[in-house]
Amino acid sequence: MEYFQFLIILMLSPLIQGIIRKLKANMQGRIGPGIFQPYYDLIRLLKKDMVISGVTSWIFKATPYIVFASTAAASMIVPVITTKSPFDVMGDVIALIYIFALGRFFMALSGLDAGTAFGGEGSSREMTVAILVEPMMMLSIFTAAISAGSTNIARIAGSGLLFSPSHILALSAFMIAIIAETGRIPVDNPDTHLELTMIHEGMLLEYSGKYLALMEWAHYMKQMLLFTIAVDIFFPAGISNGTESLALASSFGIYIVKILFMAGLMALVESTRAKIRFFQLPSILGGAFVLALLSLLTYIMMSK
Amino acid sequence: MKNWIQAFSVIDFISVGILLAAVAMNALRRIESCVRAYTLNSWLLSLLIGIVAFMIGETHLYIAAAVTLLSKGIAIPVFLRRIVRQMKITHDVEPYISNALSLTISGILVAVVYASLKEGIFVAGFSKNVLQISVAVILIGLFIMITRRKAVIQVIGLLFMENGLFLAGFSLTFGMPTIIELGILFDMLMGVIILGMFIIQIRRAFASADLDKLTVLKG
Repeated sequence: MEYFQFLIILMLSPLIQGIIRKLKANMQGRIGPGIFQPYYDLIRLLKKDMVISGVTSWIFKATPYIVFASTAAASMIVPVITTKSPFDVMGDVIALIYIFALGRFFMALSGLDAGTAFGGEGSSREMTVAILVEPMMMLSIFTAAISAGSTNIARIAGSGLLFSPSHILALSAFMIAIIAETGRIPVDNPDTHLELTMIHEGMLLEYSGKYLALMEWAHYMKQMLLFTIAVDIFFPAGISNGTESLALASSFGIYIVKILFMAGLMALVESTRAKIRFFQLPSILGGAFVLALLSLLTYIMMSK
Repeated sequence: MKNWIQAFSVIDFISVGILLAAVAMNALRRIESCVRAYTLNSWLLSLLIGIVAFMIGETHLYIAAAVTLLSKGIAIPVFLRRIVRQMKITHDVEPYISNALSLTISGILVAVVYASLKEGIFVAGFSKNVLQISVAVILIGLFIMITRRKAVIQVIGLLFMENGLFLAGFSLTFGMPTIIELGILFDMLMGVIILGMFIIQIRRAFASADLDKLTVLKG
């Protein structure tokens, strides 16, 4: 059973995206599309033909598979409903962050590959954001890793509820990292193709059909994966440590509640905040970096 | 109640809150929010003293907490806000260096404090991290005084330093005698009022509270 827990992320991630969109629409006074709309979109895209620019190289064709496969591999590492992970030896947070970085690297290359201005713009912006977000993600996870005594994510999740000021600081830094990584509103606008604002969408602009479906799906998975990491590290209460089916069922229920809470939080942030200018991003992300740094420092200071 | 405070490490949370209010000063763009950050800092300070007073049951600490709340938490913020409103200052803080850099430097300052105060200094019981946080607040206050152009913000930096000193003294000695604390508070209140008058005078003479303009000679 524990070998298939990554299927939860694979299959439910479009649903989470649909729920966030629906919540956002309701908060803004619109009805919005149904929560299953991302599934329909993906099925539709998978049936369509692709238009591929003649000047592209193999990178353009390989990227969707690399991005999808790296995200799927990352979701196998993360404990979803049980901490008894099948890939226990590999379940390292640092490895996880660099598996994400592999997908991001190829996505940025593919944005440059087609030679359009928007793709290059999107790639350059994505890498700028990534430089700021990666160290902050590392530091905030390190706080939890030190207190659990391991960088193995399953072991961090198994070490129980952590409650101290440093964990609150780390959590807030990690939330900002999630917002930046998933391209949500204070950083990037997921709903628009306006050339001045887009970061993530800019890189996908040349893709169509099956490739676009793979890239979009990988993006939904990455989003749900980040939520899962956040709840694993900072609210591990309720996650099962064994593989009995009853415990797994209750763990699954608790997991869904936690993920829905995260989705609601994201929708709330997106509805109440305005997108900031790209050149102001370093000041917000720098602030979050200092939060992560302080969380680590206060942890080291208060525990000894 | 006392067990509850111990179990949820309330003192740790409040002292981290005090540090955060000081670090946040580096990211704020508007003078009013800086005053608000100082107010938050003072309220947390007096809350911390109040909780410690409750934990160890000393009457003079209750007095210190109440006086801190009245002077730093209410009187000085109200006065600062009146100065800001009276001068119709433009809202920007106008630091010499960018927000991101200033945040990073304050983070480094905190790291340096933690690294250098790790051992070798006598601290009383629970308050080891409180001492480190108070020294960090002092340094951040100094840093704000150095890097900000507006006189009002420099005064707020000075006030942060004073809060840090107060916290440091408190964490090392469980509070000085009440008479000394009262004296310090009164001194500071007078200082703030005099500085406020200075700011208004500078503004009247130079049509700006920007201290860079003081280097220009007027005939």
